[in-house]
Amino acid sequence: MSTIVIPPGRCLRTLPRALRPSTAPFSTSTHRSLPAPAKKKTGTFAPPKRGERTLKLKKRDVVRETRPPAPGERKAVRKRIVLSNTNALEPAGLVDLTADMAGAEEVRGRVVGIPGEVVDALRVVEGFKVGQGWAFFRRPAALMRNEVVELAREMEGVEQARGADERAVGSGVRDLGGQTLRKLVYGERGTGKSVLLLQAMATAFLRGWVVISIPEARDLYLGQTEYAPLPNTSPVQYTQNEYTAKLLAQIAKANRPVLSKLKLTHAHNLPIKIKPGLTLDAFAELGVNDPEIAWPVFQALWTELTAPAAEADAEGKAVAVPRPQILLAIDNVAPILRPTQYKTLDADGKLRPIHPQDFVLVKHFLDYFRGARTLPQGGLVLAATSGNETVKSDALSVGIAMAEARVANPENKQLKLGDFWNLYKEMDMRSLEAVMDVEALKLEGLSKAEARAVIEYWAGNGMVRSRVEEGFVGEKWTLAGGGVVGELEKAVVRMRF
Amino acid sequence: MPFIYTASFTETTLVKKALESFYGIGKDVSIRILARHYIHPLAKVGALPSQKLLDLTAELTGMKIENDKRRELRDNIQRLRDMGTYRGRRHVMGLPVRGQNTRSQINTARRLNMVQRKG
Repeated sequence: MSTIVIPPGRCLRTLPRALRPSTAPFSTSTHRSLPAPAKKKTGTFAPPKRGERTLKLKKRDVVRETRPPAPGERKAVRKRIVLSNTNALEPAGLVDLTADMAGAEEVRGRVVGIPGEVVDALRVVEGFKVGQGWAFFRRPAALMRNEVVELAREMEGVEQARGADERAVGSGVRDLGGQTLRKLVYGERGTGKSVLLLQAMATAFLRGWVVISIPEARDLYLGQTEYAPLPNTSPVQYTQNEYTAKLLAQIAKANRPVLSKLKLTHAHNLPIKIKPGLTLDAFAELGVNDPEIAWPVFQALWTELTAPAAEADAEGKAVAVPRPQILLAIDNVAPILRPTQYKTLDADGKLRPIHPQDFVLVKHFLDYFRGARTLPQGGLVLAATSGNETVKSDALSVGIAMAEARVANPENKQLKLGDFWNLYKEMDMRSLEAVMDVEALKLEGLSKAEARAVIEYWAGNGMVRSRVEEGFVGEKWTLAGGGVVGELEKAVVRMRF
Repeated sequence: MPFIYTASFTETTLVKKALESFYGIGKDVSIRILARHYIHPLAKVGALPSQKLLDLTAELTGMKIENDKRRELRDNIQRLRDMGTYRGRRHVMGLPVRGQNTRSQINTARRLNMVQRKG
């Protein structure tokens, strides 16, 4: 019998698995070496199981330490208008604007204060804008620049024309033939377009005009205020009742000294009963309380303000009721000169933007602006463009270009659209008609003398650190792109080095 | 709380959001409904007169939304399956239908693709 000698190392390996001695016999002592690192995963080869997520991110808890702002709080802060700086000095020799002063030669190029009651009225019609520098100075005041004085003179002219017509009404003549001025204020950013509007409104308040202002035409364009179709209109016209109610509130409050002296003299077909002899401000407030009837009330108020009326005097003779002139002011006019963001479904079921002139309130303003209607007792329709071009209107640009061409070449009466616009490109003709023949008033930088006057006023408030001298004024005037007043304010008051 | 179709909403809910809360109404449809009823996109449910709410409810009642719309979806999948198409088979298996890779992420398909799809 032969024996096979198997080397001891190999011999164990040939034994069946169960008979081999265990490599890790039971032991209570700890391992002397670290355990082998876990095998790295080389990627999933099967899709994840149902309900299993591959990417697991733990969300971090946000701990809020402050109270969240109440509804409307942030907007109130954003829209807040501060009109005085109690730390500023009272500027010496600052006189207040008066009715007669506005067009007078001695205020040309001077800074004049805006009287308190006018400031209140201007606040109501939102004449002051966020971003203007009122908060730097003791109290609201503005430079009577050339354009403002000229405008005030034209307003005086309108009144004198009215004086002649009023007598005519007394003798039974119905046509007042008042003069309606229409102007489009334009110019670069910061040239003082909105402030010119504000000064025109201030003058109008002082002279006893009725001021109706749309402070931002954007509000009528954005599609963020309620609208409704006007019954029995074809093509469909729309009202913006809430906005109209807001406008009526503004008209009643700002013009109360004038409107409270005027009474209803005509019969109106309104859905509510009206006390006879109601004053016009109280009448306007009827529409404020009930936006559903805001538009009929606005129309009736407009009739009262424009239609010639007579009332019996103590001896029973018919006497013409004097009607105040009207200032219609629209700031940032571009948005209502292009299709709005309101949508309607046309006959084919397609969504189409509504044209601004299908909104009765906008059409009302634009009819006067383009001269389709005139104010019988005279007045001024003033629109200003905005320096920032978030909402552009091709019609407005063409209208301005045409107005400039008329100024450059007054003999050329018949301007061709083709010279200002590529006729193969679409143009909103309804909007263009509104601005095609309007008189445009371009605002540019201040003259050096005007710049000096305004810087001296700022220095009088204690807001200028250097001495106001020829060199300083010249430097800042140049820095401000040739006296652009908004830039001048930035360079002198806002920037500190 | 104002009631539209089958649900009531808080007063401060946007009408547009309220409409879009119903299955089968998205941005395009809601903006058309708003235009038809002369409601501006920022209108809140609480600001609508009751007649408008009734009109909206009447309009939604005539539309194929919510369960009807879900049933339509299920029927479409069922039809694919009954025809024995590849898309129908993939739906049954809960796998991507349109040729996507299945190596790693097919969570959407896992979640949605089934014959009795919920919506």
